[in-house]
Amino acid sequence: MAARDTRMTTVDGALFKRALLGSVGWLAANHEEVNRLNVFPVPDGDTGTNMLLTLQSAVEDIKESQATEVSKIARLASHGSLMGARGNSGVILSQIFRGFARAVEGKAALNPKELAAAFEEAANAAYRAVNRPTEGTILTVAREAGRAATAAASQPDATAPAVIAAAANGARLAVQKTPSQLQILRDAGVVDAGGFGLQLILEGMLKSIEELDSPAAVTAAPKPVKAAQVALDLPEGGWGYCTEFLIEGENLDVERIRTQIESMGNSVLVVGEPELVKVHVHTDEPTKVIALAGGFGKLQRLSVGDMSTQHRRILEQETAAAAQPQRPNGVGIVAVVAGRGLVDIFKALGADAIVEGGQTLNPSTQDMLHAVESTQYDTVILMPNNANVILAAKQVGGLTAKTVELIETHSIPQGIAALVAFNPERDAHANVEAMRAEAARVQTIEVTHAVRDTRSNGLRVKKGDVIGLINEKLEFAGGDYAEVVNKALGKLGPDGYELVTVYRGEGASDEELASLESAIRDSYPALEVEVQQGDQQHYPFILSVE
Amino acid sequence: MVTDSTADLPEEWRARYGIEVVPLKVLFGDQTFRDRIDMTDAEFFERLAAASKLPTTSAPSPGDFAAVYERLARDFEACISIHIGAQLSATAEAARVGAQSVEGFRVEVVDSETVTMPMAFLCRVAAEAPTLDEAVARVKARVPNCRVLALLDTLRYLEMGGRLGRAQAMIGTMLDLKPILLVKDREIKPIDRVRTKARAMGRMVEHFRAEGPVEYVGVVHAQSAGEVDEIVTQLRKTLGDQEIAVGQIGCVLGTHVGPKAVGIVYIKR
Repeated sequence: MAARDTRMTTVDGALFKRALLGSVGWLAANHEEVNRLNVFPVPDGDTGTNMLLTLQSAVEDIKESQATEVSKIARLASHGSLMGARGNSGVILSQIFRGFARAVEGKAALNPKELAAAFEEAANAAYRAVNRPTEGTILTVAREAGRAATAAASQPDATAPAVIAAAANGARLAVQKTPSQLQILRDAGVVDAGGFGLQLILEGMLKSIEELDSPAAVTAAPKPVKAAQVALDLPEGGWGYCTEFLIEGENLDVERIRTQIESMGNSVLVVGEPELVKVHVHTDEPTKVIALAGGFGKLQRLSVGDMSTQHRRILEQETAAAAQPQRPNGVGIVAVVAGRGLVDIFKALGADAIVEGGQTLNPSTQDMLHAVESTQYDTVILMPNNANVILAAKQVGGLTAKTVELIETHSIPQGIAALVAFNPERDAHANVEAMRAEAARVQTIEVTHAVRDTRSNGLRVKKGDVIGLINEKLEFAGGDYAEVVNKALGKLGPDGYELVTVYRGEGASDEELASLESAIRDSYPALEVEVQQGDQQHYPFILSVE
Repeated sequence: MVTDSTADLPEEWRARYGIEVVPLKVLFGDQTFRDRIDMTDAEFFERLAAASKLPTTSAPSPGDFAAVYERLARDFEACISIHIGAQLSATAEAARVGAQSVEGFRVEVVDSETVTMPMAFLCRVAAEAPTLDEAVARVKARVPNCRVLALLDTLRYLEMGGRLGRAQAMIGTMLDLKPILLVKDREIKPIDRVRTKARAMGRMVEHFRAEGPVEYVGVVHAQSAGEVDEIVTQLRKTLGDQEIAVGQIGCVLGTHVGPKAVGIVYIKR
């Protein structure tokens, strides 16, 4: 950062780097708030986490870079975010970086006008990446930020910080307007999560630049500044172990737990109430984290996953695959699945590699790319099995020499229906056609608990209510699983169906399963009912109706 | 003319063409039953459902065949003996060995390479030939064109009977799948797997339609007469007034495919 003029009329590589690293810190400090903005009151709101992980991946290579050209830093951000993109908002964010990088190609530094033009081009790229752009989302926020930046840049004594400040402010105003543009946001009483995430990123950029200009300056952030707690502690020696658990106790101090856990790892998520706190951390020392947390209360649902085993597991699969005869049609299968039982089902049906993830943690483009590369086949069918993974899955085909056939499965039942139709004697094209047709034929019912009060789809829902989604749309709320499932089956019209398969999640007890089964049999005696152990999180029951 | 009990030969044809049927055997524990003689099909499936341990099956002995050939030798000079595919059963081999012990009687043993009613169709082909040599030539010419499309209600029986082989690789066994199998070229190959019975029947008919014209066609079933009617109705749309034979799966084949199995059997033109 040597030869920059003090008024910062331009943005060079070093300044852009600083801005990006600042945005990571600010988003990290506030991403839980973004998570809570889920339109559906389902307990897997993860837009903030997805955007944060995408952004962390964007800056991964930048941290080591000494490049002084803004074009080089922008290119690293574009590549890193694409590889690490998770969830729809993450993918759109990666497209924003891509548009920005294209706009600044070959430039060492940007004057205010060029910077504003790059913001506008970033928004345009994001619009182009989406099939059917919807207003009232991150797209609108990106566009409004770009417009505000352009207006600021046309001022006679415009500076780079002024342009970024205008972009952040434009984003904030646009976020506030999102409920007036989208009915579902209005009903749920929330602003758009992805748009808010983008606002935080721009604010984070602004803060880090302003601090440079005048370290004492008070930032114009709308929220209390929590950023000081969060160091930009990106992983240096790998991600270690993904450690998750619940702490049950009394008067738990969420802030204190978070502060202590944060010193022990990355990707820290500590949320909850004084009675129950959920912890998620990537750490090299899971035993220390567990020992520490054990001091606060009783630990439940402890899970420790070695994140480097993902790579090892893929290698093992490669070895195993080498021993297996090639499928006659030379077509491999990769599926995104979470839950031990569901993973077993997908494997038994022929999936060559499983990318663990889905509802709780959306896998990145890179995770899926690894899995695709790990199969012994040159043509690979990829099934995301979750609406929020589809966009990231779409990027995989462009990153590998293999042919990737994407089947846009929105749910586990769709994925299983598609996989059942796979025939190793039939060529890829015929398989894809048959699998798409089967996926479209099956109906999905998902049952969970509302995580907050809301109104959605004309329905009043109280926190803790059992809620039922048909094909991802919230349709029913009620007191127990059996009631909600029976209503959902009634809405589908059971006459057109033969078979209900119940995938039991880890939260469902034997009694709940038994009463659900008998309720379905009593109300719909003509339907066959099959129960499978799914072990999925958050959704006590997922049902496929076909 | 001789065949074995796995041909699922309709009773009426047996009388009309004068066909001898040699029974295979089913063993429940240490009790042995001759297929369709000591036990009716209905009794068998009832007992199968109640059995804690699955029965086993065995081919007729060479002595069983010798006895039949000796009886025929009193009235005839020769016979054609058409049997279940040698990849599935030792029956054809037993027939060959049995034939050697009957002097002065010519036995032409034909390995049908298939199972159930295509064997019955081959018997008709033989019956309509003017000479034994012509019968053998006509039957052997049709062996490569015999097909069985089978829709099983469950894979359990095929698995336990050890006849699954490579079929397993495709099918997977976690979910309750309805597999569609094709018996062709001495192999049992899974060609499709479907989650529900109604759709599986439709798919089986689609596979049949893709096969083109057939010389003979029939529907076989293990205690599923209702489903047979449905399949026949669907086949009519393609076949017009071509004869569609109906056969019942007996105890031996039933041990391996299980109750509620249905199939479309045919000889391609």
